[in-house]
Amino acid sequence: MDFAFTEEQQFFKKIITDTVDRMVVPKAREIDEKDEFPWELWKEFTKLGYLGLRYPEEIGGMNADPVTAMIFYEQIARGSVGFAQSVIMNILMGTYFVYRFGSQAIKERCLFPAMKGDKVATMCFTEDQSGSDLSATRTTAVKDGNEWVINGTKMWITNGPVADFATVLATTDLSLGAKGLNFFLVEKGTPGFSPGQVLDKLGCRGTVTGELVFDNVRVPEENLLGAELNKGIEYLGEILDEVRVMTGAMAMGIAQAAYDEGLEYARKRIAFGKPIGNYQLIRAKFADMATEMEASRLLIYSAAWKMKEKLPSRIEAAMAKMFATETCCKVVDEVTRIWGANAFANEYNPQRHFRDARFLLYGGGTHEILKDFMGRLLIGK
Amino acid sequence: MNILVLVKQVPDPEALVEIASSGKDLNIEPKFAINLFDEFALEEALRVREKHGGKVKAISLGGSKAIEALRTAIAMGADEAMLIEDEAFAGGDGYNTALALSKALEKETFDIVLAGRQAIDADRGEVPQMVAQFLGLPHVGVVVKLDISDGKAVAESSLEGAKEVVEVALPAVFTAQKGLNEPRVPLITGVMKAMKVQIPKVAVEDLGLTKDVAAPENSKTKIVRYLPPKKRPAVQLIPGEAREAAAEAVRILIDVERVI
Repeated sequence: MDFAFTEEQQFFKKIITDTVDRMVVPKAREIDEKDEFPWELWKEFTKLGYLGLRYPEEIGGMNADPVTAMIFYEQIARGSVGFAQSVIMNILMGTYFVYRFGSQAIKERCLFPAMKGDKVATMCFTEDQSGSDLSATRTTAVKDGNEWVINGTKMWITNGPVADFATVLATTDLSLGAKGLNFFLVEKGTPGFSPGQVLDKLGCRGTVTGELVFDNVRVPEENLLGAELNKGIEYLGEILDEVRVMTGAMAMGIAQAAYDEGLEYARKRIAFGKPIGNYQLIRAKFADMATEMEASRLLIYSAAWKMKEKLPSRIEAAMAKMFATETCCKVVDEVTRIWGANAFANEYNPQRHFRDARFLLYGGGTHEILKDFMGRLLIGK
Repeated sequence: MNILVLVKQVPDPEALVEIASSGKDLNIEPKFAINLFDEFALEEALRVREKHGGKVKAISLGGSKAIEALRTAIAMGADEAMLIEDEAFAGGDGYNTALALSKALEKETFDIVLAGRQAIDADRGEVPQMVAQFLGLPHVGVVVKLDISDGKAVAESSLEGAKEVVEVALPAVFTAQKGLNEPRVPLITGVMKAMKVQIPKVAVEDLGLTKDVAAPENSKTKIVRYLPPKKRPAVQLIPGEAREAAAEAVRILIDVERVI
């Protein structure tokens, strides 16, 4: 097993780290405070070309392997997780099914502009009564001649309120549960498709998240994103591991941002005549944080390496997601303790990291679900 | 218009630097970056190329790790890069560095040489001038504006409280000062090119120099000792009403600390 970064990946890490430091880090606080989609930064950043990260060079992408993609996800989240979520939605979940199954006309209308940042993409799974339990999806798609008629309401949709197109999970037969699920492309402006409530969130602010309403939305047959009907769950499996490891990588981005703040503070803050970093109890915190972050990264990058090598990675991806996001929650907590009361002041960053970290516990699958899933795979049914 | 850019890889500004117990060496955390002032030089080279055509080639002298600084140059848009690979130059003498670079430059065809006004590690600001001297070329330093036309350049140099406008025939050597431009963020197409590119390496022997060119006995200067900065004294509280305290603070700054 050799998942050490290649010279090229090390270079990519350096470049994306510098890019995020220059473009994203200085805006992070404002993004959090305004909690609006950061259009200006979006335009500035997306023109660099990173939204095509995972797609082939022939269509203007970078064809990045999963390890390189994780490096990107980690760094962009280190800058601002609110911004990162919007960016990653365009790179991965929001465009994958359009790339995989979309007609040339659909790709030209949706995928290629999304790779340039000219269109904002989203993917809609979650409803008010279904999240990890996708079999409980109530949004329906009914065939009517050459069209599909979609009805339902989606909730917690990243980029939802500003999306130009959405990949929508809907069932063609409520009695089939997960086996009746399919993905459909719905574009902004289609009659009956409208944004609903925008959520006011604790963290990951700047990613606008909200409800999407589908009221007798009619889309043509070609908007069914799948080679075969009712195979949506199978197709979802193609990116599930990447989504989970990506969530872990984002967690490491937040953890690193918090850790760096903690480090700077521990070196500068004087108590009883010495920097607090000279005291053993503070040093122990850094030893613990650094150890668990290193362990998280080993899980993340070994899972990504397995994905790159096309080796089984389902359990490893779940482990990486769970361990890294739990570690992130510990790190942001410890950093608030190192900062003391200053961590409670909104003018400093530790409180933002503390709030942001929470969302990754649920995004990509709750750990209660993931543990059950892993246990089932490990023990057998 | 062929432009050569001298690029140095330096410790990252955030790297921890400590004086070794011998007092003669520095222990530097192995985090590296392209020298900030060289980025201004590189950006200016790219702008000149965009306006006048030609090629930009980045040249660095250093250990194999310096390849990363050259990849950054390619990512930003340089057409070519070359590494003069020799670990012995790390932290070495500016004279020998300039000698080796000038030998490399003799083999190139160029109109302009651009470099940073100083490297942010040693802060000597001497290599580009010496390169100009070795090559018998004019040099304009600390440039904040550069206009090229009709085989000559008009450069504005930053002076304390003023600017100096210098006209010079090409080829010439210029050093870039902060304010010359805002270096671009690399596009992904540049990053991809930089990740794949094979950067040629040459040894000092290929330049007609002997292996020991950077050895201490061949250096013109010798670092005798590093001394840590003075510890910052404790905060001095000035008592009294605001107006009197401010006057006292000004008096201390002028008469005692002599900083204004």
